[in-house]
Amino acid sequence: MLGEFEYLILSAATRLHEGAYGAAIRQEIEEATRHRCSIGALYTTLDRLETKGLIKTWMGDPTPQRGGRPKRMVRVTATGIRAASDFYLVMRRVSRGVSWEANRIAVR
Amino acid sequence: MGGEPNRGPMMTQICWRLVDILSRMLDADERQAVRGDLAESGESIGMALRDVLGLIVRRQIGLWTDWQPWLALLAVASMAGVLLSRILFRFNVDLSQQLVAYQQYGVHFGTLLTPQQDMAFLLSLAVALLVWLWTCGFVLGSLSGGAIWLTWSVFYLMVLDSAWVRFVLSGNIIVRNAGPLRRFMAVTVPLNIATLLFLLAGLCGAFLGVRRRVLALRAAYVLASAITILTILTTWMSGWYETAHEVWSGGAWQGVSWPMRLLPLVLVSWPVAYVLATAKRRNTSDKEIT
Repeated sequence: MLGEFEYLILSAATRLHEGAYGAAIRQEIEEATRHRCSIGALYTTLDRLETKGLIKTWMGDPTPQRGGRPKRMVRVTATGIRAASDFYLVMRRVSRGVSWEANRIAVR
Repeated sequence: MGGEPNRGPMMTQICWRLVDILSRMLDADERQAVRGDLAESGESIGMALRDVLGLIVRRQIGLWTDWQPWLALLAVASMAGVLLSRILFRFNVDLSQQLVAYQQYGVHFGTLLTPQQDMAFLLSLAVALLVWLWTCGFVLGSLSGGAIWLTWSVFYLMVLDSAWVRFVLSGNIIVRNAGPLRRFMAVTVPLNIATLLFLLAGLCGAFLGVRRRVLALRAAYVLASAITILTILTTWMSGWYETAHEVWSGGAWQGVSWPMRLLPLVLVSWPVAYVLATAKRRNTSDKEIT
């Protein structure tokens, strides 16, 4: 089963679609978690996800905003989407009836 | 108005330069991607340094989850390094005895062998050391990859220091009072040209090992043949000293038998088996592809 951080990356990359690359995924995660995301953790986890066949990465085109340096582009594979949705379903099942789940609607 | 100098731009430039230097420990593609991410996110220099260092540490730790760097560290850097240190120590002592005796008195230092025998032994041992060290360096580089900075450091210190540290600990060598800088230099800097040359051979081998990883099959065969011949030659020639001492002592001196003389040299030579095995495997897989 996926780890928590792996799920965050897969979710962020899926939401970003064609615009999924290192810095953008990092920003998505930081906005969602409201915690800093280290580059070290991100890139090592990207490697792990790629080894598992859950994502594909490649070097994109350089841009002036990045000082002429290329991006590491990310695309979630079908296997990755299945793994992420399985993780989400497990989280929903295991959270049924717990207090923070019940309070979710009240917080909204 | 006086007060603190403006450190901002200069200090920032220096720190970003440090980030660039540190990021060279990463693969080329990853280095570009990370530097681009840092430029895009506009992070402070402190955070950027922390991020880059964090990634480098993770990558380095990740290297050690494979068996290759461990084999390099234990079997090459440590085991072969210690044995090479002893051989190198003996070579340095024998060579310096002959050089001093010749320079100061114009005579051959008496070892119960003829000058020609001593010269032949020293020459074969010198060539053997060059080849052993180059091969160990190559295998170190080939196995270690990105971890070469650590494994080479261990190998270097083992070869340079382990023999004479043993003699210091056993009391055979007395270290005179010396300042910390002299002690540090004594431990880290080769004290003679011969040692420097041998270690340079090892370093050249390590560079090539990191870049090429596998030798061509023909070169591997040549290397294996050379090491086999040199190992046999050195074992045979070292027997001259044993025989001479036995004769001189009237049998009281029990010389070291040839298997015991051969064993450490075989242990030092094992990396050539790895070179040959990897060269053969690549040759086989290249043939299958074509």
